[in-house]
Order: sequence, then C-alpha cells, then structure tokens
Amino acid sequence: MSAAADRRFGIGLMTPIGLLYLLFLILPIGFFLSMGFFKYDVFGLYKAELTGENFARLVVDSYYQDIVLLTLKLAGLTTLFSLILGYPLAFFLTRTQSMWRGALMFMVVAPLTTGVIVRTYGWIVLMGAEGIVNKTLIALGLVDRPIQILHTETAVVIALVHILMPYMVFPLISALASQDPNLERAASTLGASRARCFFEVTLPLSRAGILMGSVLVFTLSAGSVVIPQLIGGKDVQMMGQSIYELVLHTLNWPLGSAMASLLVLMQFSIIFLYFRSNRRARR
Amino acid sequence: MSTRETILALEGVTKRYGDAPGVVGPIDLAIGKGEFLTLLGPSGCGKTTTLQIVAGLLEPTAGRVMLNGRDITHSPPPQRDMGLVFQNYALFPHKTIFDNVAFGLRMRKVPKAEITERVMDMLRIVGLPDVERRLPDQLSGGQRQRVALARALVIQPTILLLDEPLSNLDAMLRKRMRHEIRDLQQRLGITTIFVTHDQDEAFEMSDRVALLDRGSIAQIGSPEDLYDAPTTRFVAEFIGDANLIDGQVVAADGQGLVRLQIAGGSEMVARTADTTLAPGQQALLMIRPERIELVDAAAPGTVPARVRNRVFSGERITFELDTAGGPIVCTKPSLPQFRLLDPGAKVWLQPGDCRALRAS
Repeated sequence: MSAAADRRFGIGLMTPIGLLYLLFLILPIGFFLSMGFFKYDVFGLYKAELTGENFARLVVDSYYQDIVLLTLKLAGLTTLFSLILGYPLAFFLTRTQSMWRGALMFMVVAPLTTGVIVRTYGWIVLMGAEGIVNKTLIALGLVDRPIQILHTETAVVIALVHILMPYMVFPLISALASQDPNLERAASTLGASRARCFFEVTLPLSRAGILMGSVLVFTLSAGSVVIPQLIGGKDVQMMGQSIYELVLHTLNWPLGSAMASLLVLMQFSIIFLYFRSNRRARR
Repeated sequence: MSTRETILALEGVTKRYGDAPGVVGPIDLAIGKGEFLTLLGPSGCGKTTTLQIVAGLLEPTAGRVMLNGRDITHSPPPQRDMGLVFQNYALFPHKTIFDNVAFGLRMRKVPKAEITERVMDMLRIVGLPDVERRLPDQLSGGQRQRVALARALVIQPTILLLDEPLSNLDAMLRKRMRHEIRDLQQRLGITTIFVTHDQDEAFEMSDRVALLDRGSIAQIGSPEDLYDAPTTRFVAEFIGDANLIDGQVVAADGQGLVRLQIAGGSEMVARTADTTLAPGQQALLMIRPERIELVDAAAPGTVPARVRNRVFSGERITFELDTAGGPIVCTKPSLPQFRLLDPGAKVWLQPGDCRALRAS
C-alpha cells in the first residue's frame, strides 16, 4: 500500500468515531461554553447578545469567588493527601513479593467498582451524626455529643481522596516499576543510606508518575459533583455543584456556562503545565 | 597468588533461593591484594550471585565474607567500600555525568573542592574529559561504560567489582575496553573481581580465573592452568576447544602420568591431575586441537587418520579428521602445505600434551 493510500485508510478508520465526537461532544460543549458570553434572560434562558458580565461576576461576586477558591483549595488538598497516602502504597505494591500483591492491587481499584451513590451513602452511614464514627467516639467517652463530620470540607476531602486514590496510585506504580532496580543498588554501593537512595534516586525518578497522578486527581476532584453534593451538602459548595445548580435549578445557563468554562480552563491549564514540564524534563 | 596477601575471602558462601533447586555454593575463594580475578561461567552458574554477595546486595544463606580479616557478611553495601560496575551501567539518568561520578564522594561528605578535583581527575583517567555537564542519555555506550568505571573508581574502593561490563558493547569496542580496563587496573593496582561468560575476556584480562559450574567452582587457576590442565570434562569443554576421546587406563605411575588405550588400539601417554586413576579404569583423553602434529608416515605414537573436511578461516585452517577412535579436530596455521591437504587424504596424527581426565 502506498503512503497516500495508507493515510486514506487511516482516515477512513477514524471517520466514524471522529463524527461521533464532533456531533455529540465537541459541538454541544462548544455551544454550551460559548453561551457564557451571552446575556442571561429570565424567560428565554439567554439573549443572543454578547457580554462579558458572566465571567466578571465569577471574579467580582464574592459568593462565586468563594466557590472557585474553595474548589481550588479542596482539589489541591485532595491531590496533596492522595500523594502523601498513595506514594507509600505504590512503593509497597511495586516492591512487595507477597502472594497477596494481586489482591492488594484489586483493593486499590475496588472503590471504582462500586457505584458512586452506593459508595457515597457508605460515607454518610459512617460519618453522619448517628454514624459509626460518632457512635464509637461517644461509646469510648471521647466526646459527649456527636461531632460534625458530614458537611465539612474535611469530609469532602476524605471521600475524594478515597475514590480518587487509584488515579494517583497507578501512575505512581508504573513510574516506580519502570525504574531500573540497579540504580538503587548502585547508589547503595556508592555509600548512600536507604533514605539517601530514596531521596537521591527513587523519588526524583518517579517525578513523571507524581505529576501524572496529581494532574488526574486534581482535575477529577475539581470537577466532581456527586461527592461534594452528598457529603458536603450546602455547606461545602464546589464548582461542579454550582454548575449543576445554575443549569438545572436556577436555569441561569450563561452564568453556569461561564463557570463551566472557567473549570475547563483550570483543568486544561494544569494539563498544559504537565505536558510542558514533561517536555522540559526530557530535554 | 602466593606472593599476594589475601584481601578478600569467601568461606563456604552459599545462597539458596527459597525452595528453588538452583543453589550457589558452597564457594571458597581467596583474592589477593591487587589481583584481577575473573568469575567465568555459563549463564545461571552463580557468578553474578557471588559478586552480589561480595558487594553486599545479597546476603548469603550460609558462609562468611571476610574483608581484610574482618567479617563483613552482614554489613550493608554502604559500609563495604566496594565499587560496582553494572552490566547496564546503572548511571543515574537524571544526574549529569559530573554528579554521577561525584555521587559516592558526596555520600562520603568529601569537601566540595576536593570532589571537583577528584571527579575531573577520574574523568581524565578514563579518557572522558569535557563531558561532565552532559546527561547519561547523551553519551554513547562506550562512554557510559567509562563513566560507570569512573563512578566506581573515584571513591577509591578496596575492591572493584565488574559485572559483565562489556557485554553491551559492540565487538570492536569490547576488545579495546578489555585492554583499557586491564591497563587501568594495573596502573591503579586495584583488586578487581570481574564477572563474564566470555572466555576470551577472562583470559586476556585476568591473573586468575575461577570457572563456575552450577553454583560451584569447577576449577580456579591462571588462564594457562585452566587451558593446559583442566581437571574435569566441563572445564576442558568450556575453555577453548578440546578433543575428548574415551579410553581405558593401562598403566599409571600414581604421580600424574598414565598410559591410556583408546578405541582402535592406539596407546597414548598423558599427564593427569588425578593421581587416583588406576589401570582398568575408564578415562577421557583430552587433546587441544593445535597440539596435534600432522605427519605423512606412521611412527611410534602416531594415529592413522583420514581428512574428512577442511575449513579455512583466514589465519588458521581447521581439519576434521576420522580416526578409528572417532572424529578429531585439529587446527593448523594457514600455511601452504596445509592448504593442500584435501578431504580424503591419509595422514598420521602425533598428539602432544595429552591430558587424562576421569570419565564422568
């Protein structure tokens, strides 16, 4: 087959899925996002009149400002704690010779195999005022009255870290597993203690996994809706919930769209930074 | 060896892997100060395991490792002061060449100015000035190999350990590096243990060679010892080419000389390391292919043969000969009289330096 025919064949293979994406993903999202530049209209969803006021409102209106900042904060904290908890786990899973390795790997993925609603209700049962945690604390005499766990930022971060853990752990495992074990051996014969081996060799060489896992966890937690909704409730408002509210309840599509655009922009900037730093690292 | 003072000794070192059948050891080995010792053997013979036990990367199941009379069996690698060069070099890919070489000195908290001086000196010694700012990726295989050497040598280790360091290089470079490493070792006078499966490498570089077979030392000695006086069939076959002919002992003086009768009735006198060989026992007669003279008339001690095949390979000619005792291979320099010896020609063989081995 000639190169040109090859290319035609390739294009032919890609056409159906390309059309599907174009029609049902790119066009609707493009349309929805562009709505952020239209004027809000109480009766007709929007007026075909270009304006920057929706975006301005996100920045100026302290209500929405708080939502954006809280989203950044909780996504950042979720990423940080996923990394702190996930790194030792990934490290252990790559090194262990245990016969339980497969089972342990499955336990990392397990959260993904249960439905989001079931899992989240699990958290509610655990963290509610009548929940297991509170009952235990009271039974142990550590507190007299149930403490507020549900509907706090902490609860949201705990739930997000839990569900997003595989997205952190698997990139880390792949980065750690691809490391030449001789590098640590070399470091140790050259006089490096276990800790020095880790900080001089293992950690810097797992940078790609750390970045990849962080990007995934950050973008996914920043865009999450169900967990902040069910576990955070009205008290912990993140951008996902806010978009959901604006589009389906308040019916302010232009503002919802502006918020969605901002979220997509935030996520894309993170991904962009990731690729740029990777390219720099390779050079 | 006798003149050298022992620096490292393995005493009954054994390594078992769980219930796996492959056991390494027990290995007893003494290495003299400044000696270049090679652990030679086919893959899976335990040579790398032995090296890793010396480096402290593996703990032996039994036995002791003594360094300068001190038991270091359970000392972790950082306390052993050994420079190890890996087969794949294991350079730190995220560090510059300078930082790679400086690594061991930094771990030893050597002052900065001294580090710079020693690293640059060592890079000059291995023939790599001006690459210190590059990353390992930007170097060729041969250059990386030199960096790995520099990194291991700059810490002035008590012993230099080389784990098949040449096997990832192309043939030309490999030959050159043999001489470079040997030369460097002699210049620095550093005790070296070299692991390889390549007999040429082992012979060209080493003071002594330990040939390993299935986890134990089959024979240890100078390259000449191993070549001239193998003690087992494995050694005779692994080292160089050998004609091995079945025979029977007809006489033995109990001091290393025996007379063997081989199939076809011819009798040969051979040296042996096995003084227990007694008349009537089965034995193997080993003759190196280049020690056989070809003569054109029968004489005492000759064996009649016919040329079956002649293979010309430039500087030498290999003859495959049929005798009553079986096929025999004989190599000759590529001289005119041998080029004329065609298949079918009748010749008489006069074997020299025969060795007798116990039939296994």
